[in-house]
Order: sequence, then C-alpha cells, then structure tokens
Amino acid sequence: MTPAAVLLLMLIGLSAGAFGALAGVGGGIIVTPLLAIYFGLPMHQAIGVTLLCVIATSTATSALYVERHVTDVRLGMTLELATTVGALIAALVARQVNRRTLAVLFACFLLYSAGSMIKKAWNSRNVKREEIIPDYTPQNYPLGLAASLIAGGFSGLLGIGGGPIKVPVMYLFMKVPLRVAAATSNFMIGVTGATSAYIYWGRGDVRIDVAAPLVAGVFAGSLLGARFSPKVRSFYILLLLIGVAGWLAVQMIYKLLTGGFQ
Amino acid sequence: MSRQDLAADRILSLTLKAGAYTAFVLIIAGLLLQWATPWGAKVATAGLLVLLATPVLRIIVANIQFFRERDLKYALVSLGVLCIVVLAYFLGIQA
Repeated sequence: MTPAAVLLLMLIGLSAGAFGALAGVGGGIIVTPLLAIYFGLPMHQAIGVTLLCVIATSTATSALYVERHVTDVRLGMTLELATTVGALIAALVARQVNRRTLAVLFACFLLYSAGSMIKKAWNSRNVKREEIIPDYTPQNYPLGLAASLIAGGFSGLLGIGGGPIKVPVMYLFMKVPLRVAAATSNFMIGVTGATSAYIYWGRGDVRIDVAAPLVAGVFAGSLLGARFSPKVRSFYILLLLIGVAGWLAVQMIYKLLTGGFQ
Repeated sequence: MSRQDLAADRILSLTLKAGAYTAFVLIIAGLLLQWATPWGAKVATAGLLVLLATPVLRIIVANIQFFRERDLKYALVSLGVLCIVVLAYFLGIQA
C-alpha cells in the first residue's frame, strides 16, 4: 500500500471517529460505502474492516462516558446478552448472503439512518442539552432485548453499530434518558462488534493493510471529537453527516443500478 | 449511585483507555515501521488484536467487579455475555 493510500485511509478514519464522537452517530455508516465504492473492496471485506472501526469508536468514547458515569453499565451488559447472540448468528449467515443483497440492505440502512438523523437534528434545534441526568429505572426489558437482538443482527450482517435502532427503543420504551441511552448503546457496540469481528477475522475478511490506518485515524478522530464536543453545536455536525450519508446512499444505489458490487 | 459503582466505573474506564492507547500506539508504530522492516505489518496486526481483545477484557473486569460487590444477578449476566463472545472466538478460529 502506498503512503498516499495510507494517509487517505487515516483521514477517512479521522472523520469517521470525529463524527462518532461529535454527533453520537457511529462513523461506521460512512466507512463501508467509501471502501466498497472508491477502494473497490468486496462488501464482505468492507464490512469486516468497518467492524474494527466501530469497535475503536466505542472503546475510545466509552472510556470517557463510563468515567463521567453517563453509561449504564448494568443495562448495557443485560442488553449485550441479546446483541451478541444476534451478531454471532448474523456474522455466520453473512457469508451466505451475496454482495449485491448486502449492498441493497446497506443502502436501505443508510437512508434510514439519514432519516433518523434528520429527525434528531430537527428536535435538537433549540433544545438545551440535559446536563443533569434524571433518576430513572429501565422499563420493558423484553422489548429492549428484542430490539437489541435485531440491532446485533444488523451489526453482524452490515458492520454497523445499530445505534439508530437501540437508542430510540431505550429512550421511548425503556424510559432511559437520551444521553444515557446514547452512551450505553455506544458502550455495547464494542462487545457486539467484537463478536462478529472474530468470525470475519477468522474467515480472512479483515484486510489488515486497510484496517490499520483506518483504526489509527478513528482513534485520533474520536479523541479530538470528544475534546471539542462541548464547543461544537452537534446540529451542524448532524447536517453535514446527513449530507454525507445521503450522498453515499445515492452513490451506492447508482452503482447497484449500473450492475456494480458483483 | 453507590461509591462502589463509582469506583467500578473508574476501573472499567481505565481498562478501555489502556486498550485504546495500547492499540493506537502499536498500530501507528506498525504503520511507520512497515516501510522500513517487514516487522511493521506484524506490529500493526498486534495492535488490531489488542483492539479486538479490549471488549472481552472489559467484560471480564466488569464480571470480577460484580462478583466482588456480591451482585450475583449481574455477575451471571456478564458471565453469559462472556460465554457468547468466547463461543464466537472459537467459531471464528474454525472458520
């Protein structure tokens, strides 16, 4: 791999990590399509590499959220019982799914994420951040576990974290404060991603030459993002991320229609 | 939140930080060394393996904490998660 390619991958990782830390949306959704569209990686390999980026974001940012007691470790551990099972099954099945089907599923997920980010941006226009976390007791565990199973499945199949599935369920149905829900979802992604990453790694679907510069960038981006997050309005970051996700979805659909992702 | 929980959070956070920084340093060193020696790629791989091991390490650390706090319910929950992840690891080796 040339120094220029290494540098480019580090920059992609840097922006993915910064997005993850600033907007609370895993940068994973931008890495897979970039690798599949512009680096010509087969979908399975793009997903395998993205899983490592997702684990890196989770590890770097969780260290901070756990330290600040925002993460609900007990809730996270409980839901991980379901996310890991979903991730394991989906990672085993993923090999049987053909590349074009994976690309179609991924494009759908990108559009769904863009939609949920538009909603999040709209809601966060003028709302001040909840500084003090109110007292709460998580409700409705069966629903939370079911949603976690599905989120884990998507993670194992598409290499994403599954935040857009888990966070709304924790917030709306389990009555967990939004900040806690986001931090806890992020915490769970490390273990969930690792579960499927072992399967991808074992099958040789993790390209180390691509993963190493990306992960290094993600670490640096997450740390920078976390440092600047109090100073940056997440609203504008969300708008930028919506634009990028929308653009990548269009590119993926275009490539699918012109017979790509074989 | 109890004082035990606050201490447990600090140890968990330290585990995650140690994993993240170790992986980061190894990967950067590997990336720089890869143009100088054939060892570079191996160092970077070691960094990625540290990254993959960190989530498991944090389950084990949490599990020990729960047992020490005599919080049997969550000790069993974290043990369950650990079992699934270890199963994935062995299935991954066979794949």
